[in-house]
Amino acid sequence: MYSRILAGGRTGPHSLPLARIKKIMKKSGDNVNMISGEAPIVFSKACELLIEELTRRSWMVAMQRKRRTLHKEDVVSAVIATDIFDFLVNLVSEDSTTPIDLTPVEREKLEF
Amino acid sequence: MADNRGNKLSIREGFKYHFDGASSTASGEDAALKEQDQLQLPIANVGRIMKQILPPNAKISKEAKETVQECVSEFISFVTGEASDKCHREKRKTVNGDDICCAMATLGFDDYGEPLRRYLDRYRELEEERAQQGKFCNTEEKNMKHGLVNVGTFGG
Repeated sequence: MYSRILAGGRTGPHSLPLARIKKIMKKSGDNVNMISGEAPIVFSKACELLIEELTRRSWMVAMQRKRRTLHKEDVVSAVIATDIFDFLVNLVSEDSTTPIDLTPVEREKLEF
Repeated sequence: MADNRGNKLSIREGFKYHFDGASSTASGEDAALKEQDQLQLPIANVGRIMKQILPPNAKISKEAKETVQECVSEFISFVTGEASDKCHREKRKTVNGDDICCAMATLGFDDYGEPLRRYLDRYRELEEERAQQGKFCNTEEKNMKHGLVNVGTFGG
C-alpha cells in the first residue's frame, strides 16, 4: 500500500484527488477556515475505507438477492441497514427509487 | 474567464463565481447550476476502488457507482463539519489530520481510526524523509529518489 505513496501518479500518490477533496471540505460549512495539508490526505484514505465498506455491504445484499451486478437499490439497502450510515439515509432516499428495506433474515445476515 | 484578482478560473468556476449570491431573476437557473455543480470525487476513481473489493466477475451499475460517489462527498462534508465545529469551539483556525481522525471516532467510525492513524504516521515519516533528502546535493537526491521508488510495498 505504501509503495503508492512513494511512486506517485496522476492523482499524486493517493488514489483520490487531494485538491478535489479539499474543495469539498471547504464547501461543507461556514466554520471551515483553514485546512492543513494533512487533512485531505487523511480523507483520501478514509474515503477509500468508506467506499470499501459500503461496497462490501452492498454486495452482500446483491448476493442475497441472487445477483452478480451491484445495483443502486443494494447500496440503498446497505445504507439503511447500517447505523453509522444514518447520515446518508436522506441522501440515498431522495430519489424516484423507493428505498428497499431488508427482510429480517437479510438484515440479520448483514450484521458483521 | 478570470475573477477580479485576475486569476484564471475554469468555465465551471466562472459560473459559480457569477451565480453565487446572485440576487437576480434567474433563480431556477441558479438551482439547476448548483445541482450540476455538486462537487464529487471522480467516478472513475470511485469505481476502481469498488471493483477492487468485489470478486472478478462482479458488475457494478452506473447508478450504483453514482450513489456511492454521492455518499463519499456527503461523508467528507459530514466529518469536516464535526471537525471544524470542534476547532471553532477550541478557538483554533486550522483543521488538521488529527481533528479529522477525532471527528470520525466521534461520529461512529472507530474502525477507521486505527488504519487512518497508521496511514497518517507513515505519511509524516515519509515527508520527514523527503525533507531530509533535500539536504543532499542534487545527484545524491536523484539517486535516493530512484532507490526509494524501487523499494516496493511496506505491507499493511
